[in-house]
Amino acid sequence: MILGVSAEQEELRASVRRFLADRAPIPVVRELMDTTDGFDPAVWRQAGDQLGLQGIAIPEEYGGSGFSFAEQAIVLEELGAALYGGPYLASAVLAAGALLASGDEAARKAYLPGIASGETIATVAFTEEDGSWEPDAVRLAAAELDAGDGWRLDGRKSFVLDGHTANLVLVVARTGAHLALFAVDAGAPGLTRTPLPTLDQTRKLARLDFESVPAVLIGTPEDGAAVLSRVLDVAAIAQGAEQLGGAQRALDMAVEYAKVRYQFGRPIGSFQAIKHRCADLLLEVESLRSAVQYAAAAVAEDSAEVPVVASLVKAYASDVYFHVAGENIQIHGGIGFTWEHDAHLYFKRAKASELFLGDASYHRERLATRIGI
Amino acid sequence: MELDLGPEIAQFRADIRAWITTHAPDGLAELADWNTLITTGGYGYGRRTAATQHEAYRQWEAELLAARLICPQWPEQFGGQGMDAVRVAVFNEELDSAGVPRVNRGMGESLVGPSVIVHGTDEQRAAFLPRIVSGEDVYCQGFSEPGTGSDLAGLQTKGVVDGDEIVITGQKLWTSGAARANKMFVLCRTDPDAEKHAGISFVLIDFTDPAVSYQPVRQMSGAAEFCEDFLDGVRAPLFNVIGGLNNGWRVAMTTLGYERGGSASTLHLGYEREFWELAQTARKRGVSADPLVRQQLAWAYSQVQLMRFSGLRTLAGLAEGRQPGPEASISKLFWSEYHKRLGEIAIGIEGTDGLIRPDGDGYPTTYWQNVFLSSRAGTIYSGTSEIQRNIIAERALKLPREPRPTANGASR
Ligand SMILES: Cc1cc2nc3c(=O)[nH]c(=O)nc-3n(C[C@H](O)[C@H](O)[C@H](O)COP(=O)(O)OP(=O)(O)OC[C@H]3O[C@@H](n4cnc5c(N)ncnc54)[C@H](O)[C@@H]3O)c2cc1C
Repeated sequence: MILGVSAEQEELRASVRRFLADRAPIPVVRELMDTTDGFDPAVWRQAGDQLGLQGIAIPEEYGGSGFSFAEQAIVLEELGAALYGGPYLASAVLAAGALLASGDEAARKAYLPGIASGETIATVAFTEEDGSWEPDAVRLAAAELDAGDGWRLDGRKSFVLDGHTANLVLVVARTGAHLALFAVDAGAPGLTRTPLPTLDQTRKLARLDFESVPAVLIGTPEDGAAVLSRVLDVAAIAQGAEQLGGAQRALDMAVEYAKVRYQFGRPIGSFQAIKHRCADLLLEVESLRSAVQYAAAAVAEDSAEVPVVASLVKAYASDVYFHVAGENIQIHGGIGFTWEHDAHLYFKRAKASELFLGDASYHRERLATRIGI
Repeated sequence: MELDLGPEIAQFRADIRAWITTHAPDGLAELADWNTLITTGGYGYGRRTAATQHEAYRQWEAELLAARLICPQWPEQFGGQGMDAVRVAVFNEELDSAGVPRVNRGMGESLVGPSVIVHGTDEQRAAFLPRIVSGEDVYCQGFSEPGTGSDLAGLQTKGVVDGDEIVITGQKLWTSGAARANKMFVLCRTDPDAEKHAGISFVLIDFTDPAVSYQPVRQMSGAAEFCEDFLDGVRAPLFNVIGGLNNGWRVAMTTLGYERGGSASTLHLGYEREFWELAQTARKRGVSADPLVRQQLAWAYSQVQLMRFSGLRTLAGLAEGRQPGPEASISKLFWSEYHKRLGEIAIGIEGTDGLIRPDGDGYPTTYWQNVFLSSRAGTIYSGTSEIQRNIIAERALKLPREPRPTANGASR
């Protein structure tokens, strides 16, 4: 395992950070969060054309640049820090990961190059109205038509990340006793997509209704659960990397303010009630950074530790980000409670990423099971 | 996953592993659980102490000494081999996986050595360091006093220069391992008129001197591992003042701030073994299916792994030649707070069993009772958690210091 951050990785981080500061700074995030789509297609295209971000962890044979997940984790961290609203997690992590895990060579060849370039925006539709992250909870039904006529999907998906802006939807559906993955074109007949008003306006979710929607099977009619379990583990770590970026940014904001805000004739950061909180938050953020680096290396090496580490990271990242984001508001006092201040954007993103893909308690329970308790 | 530290370190690992296999005496690994967590004076401590009297242990110590593997991080001329932190960490990992002890020289190795190496003269290094390596000199730390703990610079113990000697008078408190020591490193005030931090000296004294007396202080865990000491005109040659008269504060800061990257990747190992013991206890008590207990165990496991991940990251940074940052204070705060919480979780999992102690004289405790009690010390010694938070906030985050009160009581 290679840990530590190489000079190339530092360079990557710096260029992603520059790009976001230039093309998607917070004022732009605020503008876009009020729109239904939540992102600027021109910036999304540039992220692909200029920096190759969408394809960073996709192998070269499928049109990506073939770096590892360690590099993608750095990208995710920066996106999380900037509260970027585009469909990166949905397309470049969830959907690309599902295709890579599927073992369906034809599907990979068909879809990955588009995802890698950013031309295709893809997502995975998995959760349904009960909001469960357990594969067993999937009800949406897939039925095979007569010989060679493909499949039809019926049912409803909800909490689908960027489900209304994606042009390719990978749907987890039930084929009798098993689950399978299907590709559905966003313009397919019978598919209705409804954007949902989200607590975190910088992260868009949609409900998708399927009425006899034509779908292409990816992999076999039985292997959906295995694919899904791998994808969800990697996505949990990816989400953890985003959470790390957000937590670090929120901590930086709090510390910065603690140095410049004076009360009782001294900077509030000289009061231990503030200072000690900041120290505890730094401990948490630094520990999370160690965990995310380790987890990213584990994914990059396809280590057997991935499932355990995924739940560990998702649980810890959820606790840490929300803790930091909440303290950031408190340390800012009244100004921290305003719409105008950015603290609430991080607070809302922290809660949204905590609940997405399963919250801390859910993942701790999984962790206990996965280590054999 | 094993950290890839490059081909040279891989070769070093293979060599040291082979060396351990060839040189560790038969039966040594079985003498005691060398690498489990044992709080001094606590459960299992007796067995390990007894094991260090065993012939196999003495033989092992001699082998390590001959191979310069005691204090191996020290420069060659003082008995070590100038081993870098990455190799020390790998050495520690290999000792752990072989189940044999790292023979360390306690505070002599971790605190006195670095101070003498940084602040001592060549003559002082030559006089004091080899005796630590050989085990002849065992040190205890005379910093804290009845009136002086966190605010160490307020210390009152006096040092008066008399010819080419210094005469030390005062009281020290909470001295760990005093009963095993023949030397003490003492902070004393040698210039009462100077500003608080300026008049302090760092002196090595003979702890067997008749002018030294001490008595054990019983701890809440029942053990009596630390002592209060009375220094009644103890004489030491001026040669034993490290870093020069009235310059002791700087020396003490080196002592306290000394980064030990070498334990980074092994710190978690004891906690990990302890965790699995607790999981086993939960199963035996039939509570491992309880959702709350599962949350607690998963939390504890995560904390231990976070120590491992952070240790590996520190190690990778050292291997890349990065300067250590605030890791030492963060790590201290992390493990001590973790262990306190773990003690609470463990005694909860023991349930009513935790109410009853084993029979015996004094205050014998079960393993978990001892963890529950002893872990309250970790957030106090070596700088309390509050002091660690100050250090982290002020050094790593550069938050402003607290205003210090002036003589007339106002703040500045
Ligand atoms: C098991 C054990 C072994 C020890 N071994 C040794 C040893 O070998 N040699 C040695 O010299 N000493 C030793 N000590 C002493 C130890 O270093 C001191 O206890 C410690 O530094 C705290 O000092 P104190 O006990 O005087 O508490 P105080 O300093 O009086 O602290 C009391 C409380 O006030 C808080 N406090 C103090 N200052 C501040 C501040 N600026 N901001 C916020 N809160 C503050 C503390 O955090 C603590 O909660 C040992 C202690 C223990 C428990």
